[in-house]
Amino acid sequence: MGLTDRKLPGGGTSARSGGLFGAGGPTFLTTKLDFIVNWGRRSSLWPMPFGTACCAIEMMASAGSDYDVSRFGMERFSFSPRQADVLICAGRVPYKLAPVLRRTWDQMLQPKWAISMGACASSGGVFDNYSMVQGIDTIIPVDVYIPGCPPRPEALIYGLMMIQEKIRQESLAEHFDNRAEDPEAVARPRADDQEVGALTGPFGNSTRQNRVSGLVQTDRVSRPEDRLP
Amino acid sequence: MADETRSGLDAVEAGPAGSEDGLAPDAASGLPVPEHPTVSALRARFGDAVLRHEVGARDQHVVFIEPSRNVEVLGWLKEDPAQDYAFLSDVTAVDYGGGRPLQVVYQLFSLTHHRTLRVKCELPVTALEVDSLAPLWKTADWLEREVYDLFGIRFRGHPDLRRILMPENYAEGHPLRKDFPLRGRFSRAEQTRRALAQEVENFYIPLEMDLGREPQLPAARESGSDPADQA
Repeated sequence: MGLTDRKLPGGGTSARSGGLFGAGGPTFLTTKLDFIVNWGRRSSLWPMPFGTACCAIEMMASAGSDYDVSRFGMERFSFSPRQADVLICAGRVPYKLAPVLRRTWDQMLQPKWAISMGACASSGGVFDNYSMVQGIDTIIPVDVYIPGCPPRPEALIYGLMMIQEKIRQESLAEHFDNRAEDPEAVARPRADDQEVGALTGPFGNSTRQNRVSGLVQTDRVSRPEDRLP
Repeated sequence: MADETRSGLDAVEAGPAGSEDGLAPDAASGLPVPEHPTVSALRARFGDAVLRHEVGARDQHVVFIEPSRNVEVLGWLKEDPAQDYAFLSDVTAVDYGGGRPLQVVYQLFSLTHHRTLRVKCELPVTALEVDSLAPLWKTADWLEREVYDLFGIRFRGHPDLRRILMPENYAEGHPLRKDFPLRGRFSRAEQTRRALAQEVENFYIPLEMDLGREPQLPAARESGSDPADQA
């Protein structure tokens, strides 16, 4: 699992333990710097559309004038992964497309985030068969899962706002802890064999994905207005 | 009154409904089945190569022919001016399971006479081989590749018989066969690993890969003069 690996490529130490921004706890400088950097990152998220099915229609609708995702800084859908910040996988992914998805993810520059939009991308959906990837979280690390078949544009926008909230809580001091990717993880499955088996069993992912993602907090209700800085 | 309609899995187990005479009045409507001029012409010309004739849905005529003579029969259907089935709509196959023979289905359409005809070849599961129609219809090339990919039927004389839908490194068999398990033969972990082991470049022919490279100006290429030479 590349993203959560604490070992840095090159054998360095993380900024938190190295004391680049002060030893240990956050300082005035780092918190202000975090605020400015995170504000910039979350206000100019460029999505990389990976639309393969009907979810992509809703994704296009959310870019249209009715829903207008550019209100949130996603002004431009970037069809080049090199210039994109958040990958939106909208639709079912067959095994033949899996290396393309993985290659697209590897080509995106850090920092980057991934949204799994809809039932098929999150768990394979009704396509529990020989040809379909049972959840793209076996291929790439996913930050936000959006339920629905397909989800409405409001749901996609809510998922993007969850990404923004995640960025708001990030700290540069933990940048390498959060973002460093093991070079050996490139073009490899994100999950190991045991985890793939657990995720992709019949109805497996739909009951496990909340816990596996680690994003969904079930102990409190958070509203969008709570998320503003 | 007992339900005599076979449906669902029972119908699959029982296999296709046979109508040996083919020209009996339609069961649902009681109306007489219209004659198909091609079927009588086929019987007159090829005789024992025409094994069976069935009619479905009142006017869908299906002719079962000898698999070893499929090129001869279908070539005649295409070339003969009285038939003129110039358009091969589809090549597909059916597996009814239970060790029954697989059927290769040729769906023909005559543009001049505005007629359709379905021709089938039955192949025993132990010898899934039939002659290719690619020399007759160009479209049979990819359609037969699809049948080969999903059913494992080999087409003799096909110019390029390899998988078309499933990945090149797919090793689990032929997914549309009835004996194929729905979730495949390998574990999900193995399927994921094999999927990511594919080379994305293999999806493209060399010409398409060249299109992505840096374009060359035609003038520079024709004159053969490199800016480095002039310096």
